[in-house]
Amino acid sequence: MPVIAASEVRGLATTDDKQLKAALGQWLDSPPRRIDRLILQCLLAAAPLKAQVRSHCGLYLASAHPARATMAALLEATCVQHKQPKPFEFVNSVSNAAGFHIAQQLGIDGPNLFIGAGEQVWTHLQALANLDLQDGLIEQALLLVCDEHGDFCVQAVLLEGPTTTAHAANFAELSAGTEVLRINLQGG
Amino acid sequence: MTPVYLQRAALHCALGEDLHTAALAMQQGRTAPAGQFQLHEVHEPRSYLYAAQTGESLTQRLNRLIGETLCAQPQALDDCLLIVASTSLDIADLETQTREHHGFQPGDSTSLDLIAKQLRQSWGFAAAFTLNTACTSAANGLLYAARLLNTGQYTRSLVLSFETPSAIAMQGFGALGLTSPSGQYRPFHPERDGLILGEAYCAALLSREPGANPLARLLGGFSACDTSSLTTTREDGSHIHWVMQQALKSAACTADQINLVKLHGTATGANDEAERNGIRLLYGAQMPALSLLKPWLGHTLGACGLSESLLLLGCLQEGPLPGVAYANSAMLPLSAAPQPLAADSLLLANFFGFGGNNASLVMQGCMQGESPCR
Repeated sequence: MPVIAASEVRGLATTDDKQLKAALGQWLDSPPRRIDRLILQCLLAAAPLKAQVRSHCGLYLASAHPARATMAALLEATCVQHKQPKPFEFVNSVSNAAGFHIAQQLGIDGPNLFIGAGEQVWTHLQALANLDLQDGLIEQALLLVCDEHGDFCVQAVLLEGPTTTAHAANFAELSAGTEVLRINLQGG
Repeated sequence: MTPVYLQRAALHCALGEDLHTAALAMQQGRTAPAGQFQLHEVHEPRSYLYAAQTGESLTQRLNRLIGETLCAQPQALDDCLLIVASTSLDIADLETQTREHHGFQPGDSTSLDLIAKQLRQSWGFAAAFTLNTACTSAANGLLYAARLLNTGQYTRSLVLSFETPSAIAMQGFGALGLTSPSGQYRPFHPERDGLILGEAYCAALLSREPGANPLARLLGGFSACDTSSLTTTREDGSHIHWVMQQALKSAACTADQINLVKLHGTATGANDEAERNGIRLLYGAQMPALSLLKPWLGHTLGACGLSESLLLLGCLQEGPLPGVAYANSAMLPLSAAPQPLAADSLLLANFFGFGGNNASLVMQGCMQGESPCR
């Protein structure tokens, strides 16, 4: 596929949200407030590509898990403490909240999908994006996968134009031949 | 878009445990009795439209639903893509676990792909993924499944969508002030006071072939993100208008050809205002027939794209759509009288969700017993 940019953010389990916000502030003039870890991680992978993103772009986002701290807070509030959840935490728990913030910060107006990151995640993201590229609904597609199992890794690829070739199986294959902007965060 | 058939479908909801029962109930004007829950802290009652309690686990219920959709002796599914389109997924199980253990550790969370992976393995689907775009989940599931079929990558696709009762959803929408204190679900009424949540499980088998007795054809659709607000769309209706126009364009239809618009109609202040404005931008004063499904099902969140489409298509096969009791007061020209519409009416169906996702689908019902539909 026609990859024009790629990024990868890696951090440790001990990389706290404050560090993520500080890192994000280096790429965005006005980062959104009251967002959770998943949204921070996804924004940090997408923001470095902003200069190359045009408005007619679709977003195809995947994550293995929801924002676990947010889910834990919501479950604790509603099921243990029998309180109403904090409104911003409930809204952040919606899986496409990350997609909304990326679209808003990068100024993109196309389709905006979120899928669970299973074994064939990159194949599925490319297939979905290619539908919209081939139909001329968008000129570019931003694909992004967030994975956190202790340490975390968020990878993003910006495509321009459709393809008729087979889909790449993973980020390495998809971004081969492209200079990947890498951000490595230390623990807190 | 090349039309794709909804060959078979199944629905379990507050109106009944199968599509025919639910559709007949709606056509005859029989609403489902609402259950109640309490909002925490304020201790105010709120209504909820529960499906029948069967004692099944979620896995058992989904397996039964898939079996009903595929029929008694399904052929091998190695040509079939499974899309699980849901906002609740396994949250009810996690809530039960949290209550039992008096707490939840982040490490206890399950993967978003868990249900899709399990179903793929147990049923032998060619591939499977979970799609979660809030209240447009099932609508996007239908649209992208159909378009993937048209690439030839799969022969069939099963879109499986469900919304289980969830404390987080109930309390969360309550905390946002979006649930109805009165228990009256009246979208587009000037004194509407919010939504009523509902439980639903539904599935549809999509194919480029009609099959023996197809329910409908999906002719096109479109979805995109409105970045003006995380929880509402532009109140002037401009984004909704644009999405509907793009959906019609994808289906090679014009607004004038539409026989019926299925409104999203959540009965929240902002959403109904935006949708009314969007419909007016598209149609001006001359509107086609309009329909509301949420008063019958409740708002089934991520499942509404499929639950409402199926119920509407099923109801059209039974007879005239029921009238709306408060039509004369409504902000849009809803019909107080029953609306006789052909089962093969051309439909424009709207679905909007948190995260700015707005979607519209263009469908055409099939006459019962006729195959293929025109």
